[in-house]
Amino acid sequence: MTATQSRQEPGKIISLAEEHRQADNLWLDALKRLARNRMAVLGLIIIFLLILTAIFAEQLAPKSYEVQVLTDNNAAPQWVIDLFPVMKSIEDGGYVKVSNNYPLGADDLGRDILSRIIYGSRISLAIAFVGPLVSMLLGVPLGLAAGFFGGRVDNIIMRIVDIFYAFPTLLIIILMMAYFRGAFNESSQAGTLGYTLYLADRAMGGMLFIFIGVGLTSWVGLARLTRGEVLSARERDYVLAARSLGATRWSIMFRHVMPNVVGPLIVAETLTIPVYIRYEAFLSFIGLGVNRPTPSWGSMISDGAQTISSYPNQAIFPAIALFLVMFAFNFLGDGLRDALDPRMRGVD
Amino acid sequence: MGRYIVRRLLQMFLVLFVVSLLTFATMRAVPGGPFSTEKNLPPRALAQLEAKYNLDEPLYMQYLHYMGDIAIPRLTENRLPPSVLNDYLINIYIPGIDKTLRWMNFGPSYKSVSQTVNSIIKNTLPVSATLGTGALIVAVFIGIPAGIIAALKRNTRWDYAAMSVAIIGVSVPVIISGPILRYVFGVQLKWLPPTGWGSFEHMIMPAFALGFAESARLARLTRASLLQVLNEDYIRTARAKGLHERIVIGVHALKNAMIPVVTTLGPLFAFLATGSFVAELIFGIPGMGKFFVVSITNRDYPVIMGTTLLLATFVILANLFVDLVYVWLDPRIQYS
Amino acid sequence: MTGKFARFVSLTLVLVLVLSFAASTITAQEGKKVLIDANALGASDVPTLDPSLATDTSSIQVLIETNPGLTRTNEITLVTEPGMATWEVSEDGLVYTFSILPEVPWVKYNPETDAVEQVLDADGNPRYVTAEDFAFGIRRSIGGQLGSYYGGIMAGWVLNGKEVYDGTKPVEELGVKALDTYTLEITATRPAAFLPSIFGMWQAYAQPAWVIEEAGDLWTEPQYFQGYGPYTLKDWVHGESVTLIKNPFWPGTDTIPVATIDEVRLMILDQSASLANFEAGTADISQVPLADLDRIRADATLSEALYIGPSGCTYIYGINTAKPPVDDVRVRRALSMTVNRQALIDNVLKGGQTPAYFFSREDILAAAPKAADYPQYAITEDVEAAKALLQEYLDERGITLEQMEPITLMHNESEGHARIAQAIQQMWAENLGINVTIQTQEWGTYLETIKNNESAPQVFRYGWCLDYTDTHNFLYDVFHSSVRELGISWSDENAQRFDQLVEQAMSETDLQKRTDLYAEAEYLLTNASAAVIPIYFYTSLNMTQPWVTRTYSHFGQQYYEKWDIDMAAKP
Repeated sequence: MTATQSRQEPGKIISLAEEHRQADNLWLDALKRLARNRMAVLGLIIIFLLILTAIFAEQLAPKSYEVQVLTDNNAAPQWVIDLFPVMKSIEDGGYVKVSNNYPLGADDLGRDILSRIIYGSRISLAIAFVGPLVSMLLGVPLGLAAGFFGGRVDNIIMRIVDIFYAFPTLLIIILMMAYFRGAFNESSQAGTLGYTLYLADRAMGGMLFIFIGVGLTSWVGLARLTRGEVLSARERDYVLAARSLGATRWSIMFRHVMPNVVGPLIVAETLTIPVYIRYEAFLSFIGLGVNRPTPSWGSMISDGAQTISSYPNQAIFPAIALFLVMFAFNFLGDGLRDALDPRMRGVD
Repeated sequence: MGRYIVRRLLQMFLVLFVVSLLTFATMRAVPGGPFSTEKNLPPRALAQLEAKYNLDEPLYMQYLHYMGDIAIPRLTENRLPPSVLNDYLINIYIPGIDKTLRWMNFGPSYKSVSQTVNSIIKNTLPVSATLGTGALIVAVFIGIPAGIIAALKRNTRWDYAAMSVAIIGVSVPVIISGPILRYVFGVQLKWLPPTGWGSFEHMIMPAFALGFAESARLARLTRASLLQVLNEDYIRTARAKGLHERIVIGVHALKNAMIPVVTTLGPLFAFLATGSFVAELIFGIPGMGKFFVVSITNRDYPVIMGTTLLLATFVILANLFVDLVYVWLDPRIQYS
Repeated sequence: MTGKFARFVSLTLVLVLVLSFAASTITAQEGKKVLIDANALGASDVPTLDPSLATDTSSIQVLIETNPGLTRTNEITLVTEPGMATWEVSEDGLVYTFSILPEVPWVKYNPETDAVEQVLDADGNPRYVTAEDFAFGIRRSIGGQLGSYYGGIMAGWVLNGKEVYDGTKPVEELGVKALDTYTLEITATRPAAFLPSIFGMWQAYAQPAWVIEEAGDLWTEPQYFQGYGPYTLKDWVHGESVTLIKNPFWPGTDTIPVATIDEVRLMILDQSASLANFEAGTADISQVPLADLDRIRADATLSEALYIGPSGCTYIYGINTAKPPVDDVRVRRALSMTVNRQALIDNVLKGGQTPAYFFSREDILAAAPKAADYPQYAITEDVEAAKALLQEYLDERGITLEQMEPITLMHNESEGHARIAQAIQQMWAENLGINVTIQTQEWGTYLETIKNNESAPQVFRYGWCLDYTDTHNFLYDVFHSSVRELGISWSDENAQRFDQLVEQAMSETDLQKRTDLYAEAEYLLTNASAAVIPIYFYTSLNMTQPWVTRTYSHFGQQYYEKWDIDMAAKP
C-alpha cells in the first residue's frame, strides 16, 4: 500500500523496484553485520542448542525427570561438593551423601537435577518466547499508534495501559486456575471450551494459565516504551523531511519511525525474558507454579532456594541455565540492534 | 502544559474506576471467601461476620457501598466510636457547625481484625517506599554508569564485562540472591543484621538484591539508547563544532538517551515502592508486598482493593511524571 | 560533569548516613533479660489478639501469656492444671465452680514511662480480675454475635449455649454465673472428662469489658490492650513482631510462676529467615526448615541446639468415598497399605515424625489409642495383600487396571505437601501400578474444593491439630457425622457404628474403657472402612541457643514465665 502510493507521489525520485532492492539490501546488510558480531553469533548458537535440548530432552536426559530414588535425596557428586565451600560430605563429617550417579546432584526427592534442567528447558523456553511474542504483537503496534497519532488515540491507548499496569495479575491467574482446574474434572463436560482449556493446561504441566497471565501484562511495558521512543522520533529532522516530501503517515511510521525506535525495543524485550521466568519462579514461590512433578527452571530455582544454605547446587545450577539463556538472548539482542540500526551502515 | 496535567489527573479517576471495577469483579469471581478456614465456621458465625462487613448484600450494592465509602465525603459527629469500620483517611474539623468532614474510608481488613486498609497502608507504605527508593538508587547507580561505559567502549572487553555483570543481575532472582546475601553477610561475616527493619544496615541487603536485579535493565537500555543517539546528526554536529567529548555525551547525548530509561524507571519505582513480596519475606520486612499477596490468598477483599488502587495511583502518577520528563529530555516532544 | 556528579554522590551518601543514624535508635537496656523467639509466630502477621476471635496458634500464643485461662494445660505432662482458678465439680458432673485467684490486677503497658502499670477504675482503685470478667468473656464469645468459631465450639458445652449462639435465647440465660467477686459457676450441658480443659480455652479468658466498650474492635491494639497474666503486650508491629513485657503485678502461682525474663520478642519470620537469625546469633529460638535438617544434624553446635518433640497434629489423606474407584473399600485399603510411612519420614520429612496408623495423635491426647497397643485394629503396610485386594476389586468389576477410573490426589500448594504427594504418588505407582495425578490448588480455592463432596477429588491432603488435649477433639469433632463437612462422604454401616462409639466415649469416665472405645472407632475409620489414610504425627522442631533454659511444650504454645536466659553467656 505504502509503496503504491509513494510511487505516484510527484517529486519522489526512488522507483518501486529500487525501493525493493534497497529493502533487500537493508536486510542482507543487517544479516551480514549480524554475522560479523561474534558475541551475537555465539548467542544465536546457544539459543539454537537450547532449542535442540528442549526438543530432544528425552534423548539427552540421562535419567527420567520424575523417577525418585528416595534414599538418594539431596545426594551430590564429589566435584559439586568441592565446588561449594558450604557443602561437606558425610565422609568429612558433613551431611552430603556422595553419589556420582548424578552429574549435578539429586534433588530432595532423589531426582536427577541435570535431567530436570534439560526437561525444564521446555517450559522455560516456551515462557521465554510467549512473553516477547505477545508483547511484540500487541505492545509495539499499540505503542506505535499512540506515539505517532498522539491526541485522542494516544490518550485512549495509554489509559488502557494504565489499567493493565495496575490490575493485579495474580488475581487473574488464581481465578483462571481455580475456575479451570476446579470446575473441570476427568469426567463430564468434554468438548466445551473450558474443558479444552483444562486439558491444554494439564498437557502443558499447568503452564497455560501462567502463559495467559504473562501475556496479559507483558505488552504494557513495551507499549509505553515504544510510545516514548516514537514521541521523540517523530519530531526528528528526517521525519520532518519525509513529511515535507509528502510521504504518507503509514509510510513515515513504518519506513522512518519504526527502524529508528527498534533498537531499544529489541533490547528491552530481550531483557524482559528473565522477568517472565522470574515471574514463573515467583508463582512457584507463592505456590501457584507448574503442576508437579513437571520441572521448570523457575520452580527448580524457587524450590532450591529453600535449601540454598545446605544444598546450593539445587538452585544455582538451574540459575546458571537461566543465565545462559539470558546471556544468549542479550548478546543476540544487542547484535540485532546494531545490525538493524540504519545509521550503523558503514560504521563497522 | 498545565491543562494537559489537569486533564491527565481527571482521567486518572476514570482509570481508577475501571481498575476498581475489574478488580472487584475478579476477586469476587475467585472461589473461596474471607472466612473459609480449615475448620468449619458454624453457619450462624458466618452470617454474623457477613452482616458485620455488609457481605450479605447483593454484589452490586457491596460495590456501590465500597466505592461510596471511598468517594463520598461525609459530615459526621466529631467523635466516632472507635471501630475498624470508621477509619477515614481525611478528617477535617469544621468549626462553624462543629462537625467533622470525613472522606476516603477504604474499609477494614477481614483477616487482621484490628486493622483497616488505611492503617495497613499507613504502617507499611513508608517501609516499602523507603526500601523501593533504596533499590532504585542502587539500580540507577549501577545500571546507568555500566550502560554508559558499555556504549562508549562498544564491543570491547569493557562492554562485554559490564553487560555480563548486568546479565548476572537479571538472571539471579531475589529468591536466590536474597538468601545468599543473607547467609554471607548476615550469618557468616556478621556485617549486617540478617533480617529486620528499622535502620540503614537493615536496608542494605534487600535494597541491593532488588536493585541489582533491576540495574541490568537500566544498563542495557542506556547502552542501546546511547548508541542510537550517538549516531544522530546533532551529536555529530556538536562534535564537529569541537565541543568537549564529555559535554557532548553528558549534556547532549545522555539527556536524549534517557527516554527509554525513564520510561522504565517510572513504573519500576511504582512497583518497588509498593512492596516486593519476596524480598520482604526473605529479609523479614514489614512492607506492603506481604500484605498484598497474603490478602489475595486470604480473600481479604478490602485489602486487595485498597492496595490495588494504591498501586494503580502510583503507576498512573509515575507514568504522568515520565511523560512530563520526556518534554524536558527532548524539547521537541509536545503534547497537544 | 564529573565534579557535579561526585558532589551529587557524596551528598546522597551523607543524607543516607544521617538518615540511618536517626533511624537506628534501638538501644538495649543494661541488665534487662530479653529473649528473641523466632519460632512462635510464623511468617505472617498475627491475625488478632481478641480471645473471642482467635483461631490460630500465633494469636493463642500471645493470649495464653497475657490472659491466662481458668485452667491451664501443663505443657509437658499435658494434664489440666489450675490456671487463674481452682475448681470443684458437682456430683452429676454438670456444675463447675471456679475459685478465682483474688486481687490479680489488670495491667497495661505505658510507653511513656516504659513500665507496666495497674489499671485503675473510675474511683482510682485498681481493677482486679473478677469472676464477672470471665463471665463477660464467655458471654461475649458465645452470645456476642461476633462470628466466633470457638464460641461456637464452647456453645455446645455450656447450658443454653447453642440457643444463645443462634440468638434464640438471650445471653442472660447462658449457664455462666458470677456467684461473687471471685467465684464463677459454669453449668455444662453434659458431663465429660475434658470439660475443665475446654473451660480453660482462650474463648473463655477474662476480657476487659470497659476497654472493649471504649475502643471497639481496636481494643487489641497496644495503645488499648489490657491483660493480667505473667506477661502483657508491649508492642505489636504488624507484620514484624509482637513484644511481650513481664507483668510485675503477677502474683505467681504453682502452675504459673512469676517470669524471670523481662521481655520476649516474638518475631514474624519465615523458616529460613529465622534460622539465619539463629545462626547469626540474633535470635535465641528458631524454627527448623526441613531442608536444612541434614546440615543441622551434622553440625556440632547446631545439632546441640536442635530439639525434636511431639506436637499435637496429624497429617492425613482424606478420601472422597463417593467417587469411583475409591468408593470401594478394597481400593482405599490398598492405597493405605502401600504408603511406606517410615520411608517417607526417613527420606522426605526427616523431622523424626511418627508413622500414623490411627488418626488421633497418640502420646498427646487423653484416651488416644496407640496403634501398637491395638495391632488387631491398626491397618498394616502390606504390599502383597494390597495388590490382592486391588486385583479382587478389578476382577469383580471385570476390568483391567488401565480401565479403572483415574485417581486425582490434591493438595494445597506448599513445597512440603508437594514433596509428600510426589513421594506417595511414586509409592502407589511402584506398588500397585496406579498412576495418580497430582493437582494443586491455592489455599482459598482448595478449602472450597475439598469441603464439597461433589468437587472433592478422590484423595486430598488434610491435617488436624488439637484444640484441647482429648481424643474427642479428633474423632468426634472431625468425623462425627453431625460435624463432618469435609469431602469425606463416608456413610456405610461402619460410619453409624463409629458415631455410636464416639458418643459413648464422650460420657465414659473410665480412661481405659474410653481408650478402648476410641480404638474401635479408629479401626472403623482407618482400617475397616479406610475413609482416611493416616500418614504421620507431626513433631515440633526447635532450635534453642545454649544460654536459654527452657521447657519444650508438647502442644504448640510456650510458657515463657518458666524460662530463663543467661544474658552474660550471650555473645
